[in-house]
Amino acid sequence: MAVREWLALVAFASAIIFGTAGMIGMFRFPDPYARMHAGGLLGTTATFSVFIGSLLLAPDRATAARIVIIMIFFLISAPTGSYIVGRFTWETGLPVWKPKKRRNITDKEQEK
Amino acid sequence: MNVERRWHVVRFLLTSFFLYLVWLVFTASLEPYSLIFGAIGSVGIGALTHTVFIAEHQANLRYIVPNPLHLVLYLFIIIAFLYQSSVMMLRAVFTGEVSPRIVHFRTRLRSDVARMILANSITITPGTITLDLNDDHLTVHWLFCDTNHAKAAGERVKGRMERFIGNIWP
Repeated sequence: MAVREWLALVAFASAIIFGTAGMIGMFRFPDPYARMHAGGLLGTTATFSVFIGSLLLAPDRATAARIVIIMIFFLISAPTGSYIVGRFTWETGLPVWKPKKRRNITDKEQEK
Repeated sequence: MNVERRWHVVRFLLTSFFLYLVWLVFTASLEPYSLIFGAIGSVGIGALTHTVFIAEHQANLRYIVPNPLHLVLYLFIIIAFLYQSSVMMLRAVFTGEVSPRIVHFRTRLRSDVARMILANSITITPGTITLDLNDDHLTVHWLFCDTNHAKAAGERVKGRMERFIGNIWP
């Protein structure tokens, strides 16, 4: 296999890893905001990795240019989608999930 | 020709030009048939939608037309951010070490497009999702929050990106 194909393989493999982790995160986190972090962000990266892999395997320049355009549109549309869900959740007034043991917080805050 | 009318014409021309550019990239052919139909389509759609594509109150060309060099540079920066944030998120999914919190701050960007891009970039960068954008006021859900100070939080979440976007749309 050529170097290009190995790189594409790495991109597809990372897509599988990110996609699976996004799925696990959707079930592990308790509230919609944190779930959206996992589902939206890791889903975006998984799809983006697939695009990069297919960009590496593109047969000619015209196809590559189209894939780049699709990538740019996807970079705009994917965050907008999770923004719409997030805004709706925020408008309904759902409080944010607070884990029992917090990381990176000052001692004063922990005493409260 | 009064100012309002001229602004309509400029917006119409910009919209049609943008649509025609996208048409050229997607069809990738220089046959006269395709060129002529693309031109007719982009002029027609531009005439119908230019009021939506460019808002009337964005009455300055530098609010709309980006700096192309910085725009391309920013695209690569955003891709780097995307992978960095995904690796952080991957770790958080398996360890469960998070401290979620809602933070509020303001942005100094003036253009609507720049604010929209900033909101989308915040969603892409590590552990933050934009929940609301009202004029210049952003509501952000931050998964790895480590401060109570609003200004410090704003600087941590958007500082670098706001400077980059400020170069694209001043």
